[in-house]
Amino acid sequence: MDLKLLLDWRLHLLVIMTSLFSEWIGIVRIPLGPGTLLLLPLLYAFIIGVLFNPHLFSVMGKVIPKPVSHAAGPIILIAILPFIAKFGSTIGPAIDQIIAAGPALILQELGNLGTMLIALPFAVLVLKMGREAIGATYSIAREPNIAIISDRYGLRSPEGIGIMGVYVVGTMFGTLYFALMAGYIASLDILDIRALAMACGVGSGSMVAACSAALAEAVPAAKDELLAFAGASNLLTYATGLYVSLFIALPVTEWMFKRLKGTRQEVRHENS
Amino acid sequence: MKTHESTVDQFDAEALKELRPENQLGKTALVLAAVCVAAWFSNIVNGSPLLDALPGMLILYVMVIIGLVIGRLCPFYLPSVAWVSLISIIATLPVFPGNGWIIAQLAEVNFLAVVTPVLAYAGLALTNREFSMFKQTGWKLVIVALLVFTGTFIGSAVVAHVML
Repeated sequence: MDLKLLLDWRLHLLVIMTSLFSEWIGIVRIPLGPGTLLLLPLLYAFIIGVLFNPHLFSVMGKVIPKPVSHAAGPIILIAILPFIAKFGSTIGPAIDQIIAAGPALILQELGNLGTMLIALPFAVLVLKMGREAIGATYSIAREPNIAIISDRYGLRSPEGIGIMGVYVVGTMFGTLYFALMAGYIASLDILDIRALAMACGVGSGSMVAACSAALAEAVPAAKDELLAFAGASNLLTYATGLYVSLFIALPVTEWMFKRLKGTRQEVRHENS
Repeated sequence: MKTHESTVDQFDAEALKELRPENQLGKTALVLAAVCVAAWFSNIVNGSPLLDALPGMLILYVMVIIGLVIGRLCPFYLPSVAWVSLISIIATLPVFPGNGWIIAQLAEVNFLAVVTPVLAYAGLALTNREFSMFKQTGWKLVIVALLVFTGTFIGSAVVAHVML
C-alpha cells in the first residue's frame, strides 16, 4: 500500500473530527425492557465513517477519494494496536486476581465453541442452509479462522462463502452488536459480571474493546477488574483460538452438521 | 457468480498478506504515529488535555513498536496483537521497575477514547466488496452471524459463571 495514501491528511483529519464529535456526544443510555442499551461513542464514529464512505455515496469521493478509503483498511489493524497496549496495562496490576480466577479463565475458552450451538441448528433447520453453515458457525470468523477454512476448503467453496459472510457482518456490525449485547446482558444482572468480562475475550480486538467498554460503563465500580479479565481472556484466545478452532470446533461442527442434516431429511421424508 | 468468485480471490491473495503489520515495520511505524495522533486528540474530550496525555500516548507507541519487532523476529507465529499485549502486561506488573509511573501516565489515556478513531477508520474503509457481499449473502447470514456472536458470548459467560 502506498505510503502517501496511508498518511493522507484528509483521512486522518476526518477521523480526528469524527472522533471529537462522537466523544462529545458521549454515552447514551436507553432503557429497554428489563435492561438498558448503551450507545458508545465508537458507534457514532462508525456510522459517521460509513456516511463519509465514498463507496456508499460517490459524492463523498470529493472529501475522501476511493484510493484513500482503501488505504484505511490496513490502517484499522494498526490503529487497534495502541488500544491493545492500553488494554494489556489493565492486566499487569491485576495479575493476582487473574491468577486466582485461572481455572474459570481457561475453561471459559471452551465456551467459544458456543458459536455453533444456537447458530448451526438455526441455519440448517430454519434457514435450510447447506455447507455454508459450517463455515459460518464453526468460529467467530476472524482472520485466523478464515485462514483455516481457506486452507481446508478454499474460500470459493460453500464453507468459504459462509465464513466470509460472517466475517463481513462481523466487520460491519460485530463491534456494535457486542457493545449492545454485552451492555444489555450486564444490565439484566443474571450472570456474574466477571464471567461476562471473560466472555468478551473472543479474539477480535475491536469486539473485545466494545464488549468490555460496555461492561465497564454498566458497572463503573468494577471497571479495572473487568477490563483486566476481558483482556486476559482475549489474550488467551489469541494464543489458543487457532488450535481450538482447528482441532475441536471444526470437527464438532462437521459432526453436528451431519446429524442435523440427517434429521432434516427424515422430517422431509415423513412430510412426503 | 463470476464477479463474486473474483472478489473472493482478491481477498484471498491481498488481504491475508496485508494483515500482518509486523512485516513492514517502517511503514507501520509512520502509520502508527498518525493513528496515535488521532487517538491523542480523541482523548481530549473525556480523557486528558494534550500535554497531560502525551507521555501515556508515547508509552503506548513504544509498547506497540516493541511488540511488533518481537513478532517479526520470533521464530514461531503468534499474532502481533498478542505480543503487544504481553509487552504491556509485563511493563505494568508489580515487579517491573517503574510500573507505578507507567500506570499513572497511562491513566491519562481514556480507554474508550482510543477505540473511537478505530471505528471511524473502519467505517471509512468499507469497500464495494463488503457492501456487495453484504447484499449477496443477505439477511440469512446476518441472522446467523448474530447468533454466532451471541452463542460464543453466552457460552463463555455460562462456563465462567459456573467456575467462579
